Amino acid sequence: MSVLLLGMNHRTASIELRERYAVEDARPVLGKLVASPEVDEAVLLATCNRVEVVVWTRTLDAARLRVRSLFERELGEATTPPSALAPALYELVDGAAIRHVLRVACALDSLVVGEPQILGQVKDAVRVATACGACGPVLGRLYSRAFATAKRVRNETSLAERPVSVARVAVDLARQIFEGLEDKAALLVGAGDMIELALDSLRKHGLGAVRVANRTPARAAALAARFGATAHGIDELPELLHRSDLVLTCIGGATPLLTAPLVREALRERGHRPLFAIDIGVPRNVDPAVNELDNVYLYDVDDLASLAEANARERQAEAERAETIVAAEQQRFEGWLGALAAVPTIRALRARAEEIRRSELERGLAGVPLDARSAAAVEAVTRGIVNKLLHAPLTRLREELEGEAGLGHLEAARTLFALDDEGAGPDEGPDPEP
Amino acid sequence: MGALELHQWAAGAYLGASLAAVVGLGVRARRWLGFGVWLLAFAALLHGLAFVELHRLEPTPALTELPLAVSLAAWLLVLSFLALQLRVPARGLVVVVAPAAFLGTVFESFAVPAPGPPPPGSALWSHLHVLLASGGLALLGVAGAAGLLYLVHHRAIKRHRVARQSALPSLESLDRANALALALGFLLLSLGVVTGVLWVETREGRLWPGGLHANATLVAWLAYSALVFARFGAGGSARHVAAGSAAGFALLLVAVVGIGVAR
Repeated sequence: MSVLLLGMNHRTASIELRERYAVEDARPVLGKLVASPEVDEAVLLATCNRVEVVVWTRTLDAARLRVRSLFERELGEATTPPSALAPALYELVDGAAIRHVLRVACALDSLVVGEPQILGQVKDAVRVATACGACGPVLGRLYSRAFATAKRVRNETSLAERPVSVARVAVDLARQIFEGLEDKAALLVGAGDMIELALDSLRKHGLGAVRVANRTPARAAALAARFGATAHGIDELPELLHRSDLVLTCIGGATPLLTAPLVREALRERGHRPLFAIDIGVPRNVDPAVNELDNVYLYDVDDLASLAEANARERQAEAERAETIVAAEQQRFEGWLGALAAVPTIRALRARAEEIRRSELERGLAGVPLDARSAAAVEAVTRGIVNKLLHAPLTRLREELEGEAGLGHLEAARTLFALDDEGAGPDEGPDPEP
Repeated sequence: MGALELHQWAAGAYLGASLAAVVGLGVRARRWLGFGVWLLAFAALLHGLAFVELHRLEPTPALTELPLAVSLAAWLLVLSFLALQLRVPARGLVVVVAPAAFLGTVFESFAVPAPGPPPPGSALWSHLHVLLASGGLALLGVAGAAGLLYLVHHRAIKRHRVARQSALPSLESLDRANALALALGFLLLSLGVVTGVLWVETREGRLWPGGLHANATLVAWLAYSALVFARFGAGGSARHVAAGSAAGFALLLVAVVGIGVAR
């Protein structure tokens, strides 16, 4: 039995490639996945920075092929060449996979270390997988442990004390340009997850007005309605631009939406008041030449990543403490998983002992007349002896399974009690010497 | 405590405020900057008391003496900065204002100028000229400091070499501080020039004395006129006005203090 994780993230794949693996609805994908005999349980996490599939399987090699085929044939766009996918995809098994799941939930693997959004996204992914029956007891337990780990990291380190996200970084940078944000207007171009998160964050930071512009006005309207913003079509961009102080773009498209002439005209219209633009789209939505204009401050995803790295360096000590917590929780989960692996052995051992007890009772008491009371007493005494004899070794076995040597003890128990021998039975072999 | 001791204590407090401001900026801790501002206010109080003590001397040293005039300008610079805090959140300016106040005070801390003969001409015009010109110099000093910090901060943000959080004021605050100090400073400087002309008239019977100090001041005044027009009349960009404020103050410093020292 193994935990297998396959996926790609912001470190291994460009946003262009990740966009091709955007998953709108995980349910049909998960349904197909767990319908395969190779996969017992599955969870699919798809955010703008990562697409990962975690499965619990009894047949690792077959499951590996199945999940790879999912990425190659079912998840991505048909136009994605396999040569582009192969180097972007990473595969983790058992301990490494478990550790990765815990680190992702704790935002230790995020672009901005400690960002708070990822935990909600993981919870959503587990909720969806549970609702469609793909997430069972093992992955359910793994993610419960991941949420508990994230909670410990939040409570025991200061990683979450200064929560950061792209939107938060945008707000912090905006505060270095603008005196206050209350009378400032933000324009968000796009309607994806990042824009939604940014919208939520910008609203919380009290921006005066927030406008959402998108190619599909209906999506902009739906998003704007949820956050008290106003929705606009992309054709209104020139007009919106000169009324906005902060512009955040994350929208698909091969060519930049905001060109230098367009921004120059907007600046003229707005009396050369400063304009702060954050472009997190890949390919870029804002022409880099815009940063050359006076009173315009343009940051793209690479600039934010360097800020995030600085943030990660600042938080190195806290991140190390968080990694220690992750390691402890990983060991705890692996202990549980090991104990889970011991269940068949423990059952077999109990069955073997019960079989021996019954056969010895039948043989020893054959022809001995016992009334019902005496028979019940003998039954109770022998059952008690068996339970007492088994109690200590089984308890010790469970305990040992939480450590690295646990599997060796399990193997030893199966060998010593001949649990794997097909013909082994209570009547075989001589009775032990007294 | 005498005027000299009070001046020395004020200079020490200005130095302390400078160190707190530099530490605050270095470790990006606004708390240190806040401490620097409080220390600066305390230093300004001591500095003010020093002037009161100086005024009680008989005969009173003339404000037209250069070290005293510079010290007065430094004191007014600090008062202008503190007053500006009521309108614009630009606490980070302390990092320029405190060292400038220290430098303006430190010469005065070694010796109180010996009382000399009163300046020739009208005492009213001479006092008004020194007070208004010093006030103008102080406010234009604040504008120059704001301009300098604007240029530094603007460059860092533009080149993406900025930390996520900074102890420096926002560009908008610096621009507003610059504009406010520039407007008031230019007004006081203009009045200082006018009262200077009137003082010369009572002293020498002519309107324009000529000489390096007067001519350089006139050039600085003309430069500031252009800058004020660019900022308030032509809608010039904040960066250009910031550069103009910093350069204009350097010119004014040379015209008022540099030439005075050279003489």
